[in-house]
Amino acid sequence: MSIIEVTNLTKFYGKSRGIVDVSFSEEEGEIFGFIGPNGAGKSTTIRLLLSLIHPTSGSAKVFGKDVVTHGPEIRRDIGYLPSEVFYYEGMKVIELLKYSASFYGKDCTERLHELSEYMELELNRRISDLSYGNKKKVGIVQGLLHSPKLLFLDEPTSGLDPLMQRKFFDLIRKENARGVTVFFSSHILGEVQRLCNRVGIIREGKIVEISDIRTLQQNNYKKVNVTADGLNPATFDLPGVNNLQTEDGTLHFFFKGDINAVLQKISTIQVADVTIEEPTLEEIFMHYYE
Amino acid sequence: MNIFLRELKANLKSLLIWSAIIILLIFMAGAKYSAFAGDPEMLKMLDSMPKALLDALSMSAFNLTTISGFYGVMFIYFALMAAIAAAMWGSDSISKEERDKTVEFSLVLPVTRSRVVTAKGLAALVNCVVFVLITWVVSLVAVQSYNPDQVFYNFLALEMQAMFVIELIFLAIGLLLGCAMKQYKRSGSTAVAIILTAYFLSIVSVMNEKLDFLKYFTPFKFFDAAALLQSGKLDATYLLLSAAIIIVCVAAAYWSYNKRDLYI
Amino acid sequence: MNANIYRHEFRIRLKSVIIWSLALTFLIAFYFAMFPVFADQAALMNELLAKYPPELRAAFGMDNMDLSTVLGFYSFIFMFVQLCLAIQAGNYGFGLVSIEESELTADFLLSKPVSRAQVLTSKLLAALTSLTLTNLVVWVSSFVAIALFRGEHEYEPGTLILLLLSIVIFQLFFLSVGLVISLLVKRVRSVTPYALGLGFGSYVLSAFSGVFGAVALELITPFKHLDAASIVKHAAYDTPLVLLNVAVTLVALAVSYWLYIRRDIPAVS
Repeated sequence: MSIIEVTNLTKFYGKSRGIVDVSFSEEEGEIFGFIGPNGAGKSTTIRLLLSLIHPTSGSAKVFGKDVVTHGPEIRRDIGYLPSEVFYYEGMKVIELLKYSASFYGKDCTERLHELSEYMELELNRRISDLSYGNKKKVGIVQGLLHSPKLLFLDEPTSGLDPLMQRKFFDLIRKENARGVTVFFSSHILGEVQRLCNRVGIIREGKIVEISDIRTLQQNNYKKVNVTADGLNPATFDLPGVNNLQTEDGTLHFFFKGDINAVLQKISTIQVADVTIEEPTLEEIFMHYYE
Repeated sequence: MNIFLRELKANLKSLLIWSAIIILLIFMAGAKYSAFAGDPEMLKMLDSMPKALLDALSMSAFNLTTISGFYGVMFIYFALMAAIAAAMWGSDSISKEERDKTVEFSLVLPVTRSRVVTAKGLAALVNCVVFVLITWVVSLVAVQSYNPDQVFYNFLALEMQAMFVIELIFLAIGLLLGCAMKQYKRSGSTAVAIILTAYFLSIVSVMNEKLDFLKYFTPFKFFDAAALLQSGKLDATYLLLSAAIIIVCVAAAYWSYNKRDLYI
Repeated sequence: MNANIYRHEFRIRLKSVIIWSLALTFLIAFYFAMFPVFADQAALMNELLAKYPPELRAAFGMDNMDLSTVLGFYSFIFMFVQLCLAIQAGNYGFGLVSIEESELTADFLLSKPVSRAQVLTSKLLAALTSLTLTNLVVWVSSFVAIALFRGEHEYEPGTLILLLLSIVIFQLFFLSVGLVISLLVKRVRSVTPYALGLGFGSYVLSAFSGVFGAVALELITPFKHLDAASIVKHAAYDTPLVLLNVAVTLVALAVSYWLYIRRDIPAVS
């Protein structure tokens, strides 16, 4: 069953664009990466799915139910970590978490303590005294403490130090292993690469590509580096070669097509070193923004 | 200068709303005056009323059948509106930065905090000046049909000066609240408390002679419209008292804003 | 209705309720303490006034007010009580959902498994509870102040109760009108100026019509819908005006629900 199903979803804020004609779906147990630069429409999509805002046209279903008409039911099994967390400033951390837990009609005390211990969160401090990173931790615990079936993470790692980021990713992986579906929005490709099964790339409000992270990397470009004496860049002037650059006797280029063509060329010269690698998501990503 | 202009722009909407309210009031009052204009019966009845009652309704010492007398009764309401607007402009222009979480932005700019307060204070001051001028001009327009005499023009000028001084007092108080209150939310509610207290004191102070001393504590009584009409000038004692309040508040505002930790 | 939201909302307003209640108690006691002095002067005035034609008295709003009696004097004070209540209720109304948005906690609350209608209902009921607490304090302090200072003068408790009962209608008006305005304007940045504008604005309007007498104004300001002097004089509400007031309240509430359920919650920044 598709956990999220988005069909031709469009949102305009007055005349300015939010997202246009976005369609995708996410299956149960997936970690779906949603990548795009700032202002592409990532948060808009999440806010639509949470029915914090209402679609201009199109529809979205979560757990097979329409988000506009079944909001409260759906939200019972959703955890949400907004990109910037703001909470009731007069409250202590523990009060906020208990307030949050009180909405779900189950006892979350044990998990609350487990999670805050794991995230090294001090429960007795006032929210207003917390640093940005610590508020983010509150957000993480708050989003997870009721054991949701679906997690929305909107640029979750900003403000967390690398150590905490790692802990956070481990936590998400653990949750995922228990069957939790994750919708992960980010503009940092490295973390999406580390975590996600599938990615959707959004640009200026429109989806430009949805694919498996493997196929995205495989079917796209190979990154080839050749080191040799007396290299002539013209040797590799083949169809499918891109971004040919020479640097300190090493030739770098991207190649898309039958790799044998490149191997044949390489075999004609005396090389010192050859590497053929998968491009990183960053490098693929740049391609969509060329 | 850039902060000043930015503030003016940000305050514009609020100025328009308050101006609209005061214009509405003035025209309504003008329409109502038509019921009174030159009616001798009315005068006779007013003469027969006991002073305490007229005081309570702030109608003492006015001949309501003349436009000046009528405007004298109106004065407290203009003053009230002006005071609220000024206090809001004063406190909001400082505290909104913390509320909108923009304070980190504006205070890391290469300007001193004093410059920030100065620019914001001046912008609010411009609002107050414009507000008085609008009240003045609209009043002149509204009463044209009653052929006001020179006495009225002089009296109106005096009233507007008094209104301006009251605005300045509340602007200074508002500024101080915005600067000094650690929690921005409190500055607004404290301003409400001060305005309400001052207004109620102004009513109480005339109800009983023993409570007369209270008038020193409420700016609304510093420039009593009746006294203005009789003496034809602003009372020097109260002008000094007003100046003292304004100076103390503004100085305290600068001092506390420079010293205080800012929260986001 | 969601008990958690209700409790939370009630708690954050508790301090404000206590402050308003204390202020009102003080106001009522302080003003009413002056009743004995006033009563004697006013009796004299009534004799004089009686000689004038009713139209003239009406022009001054004098036809209703009789400061020589307990309730006549009380209704004079009640105007100021109403002013305070209007600002308080307006404050709660304007802030009911807008504070949540300007402090950006709306995302937190609305991603919980509760419907918008439930959120609004819980918030409204919590605000109403807070207002009712203040209301009760006004009841108690009014009765106590009158008992302490009325001296020899008699009064009709039934009429006083009628007058005090009008408070809840009055509060609901400002609560719901504040709420609907806050939802109609794009974004309420600061609650206080709005509440002051609404409260003082309608107070001044009614003061105008009180002093100078006019009919049209009674239709727009709730201070006239529930005019204390007139309630005391007639020992009854002005039914059409009260109905108008209630109708405005109900429309404001209905529109608020309609708007809030369809509202796009503004995002951060």
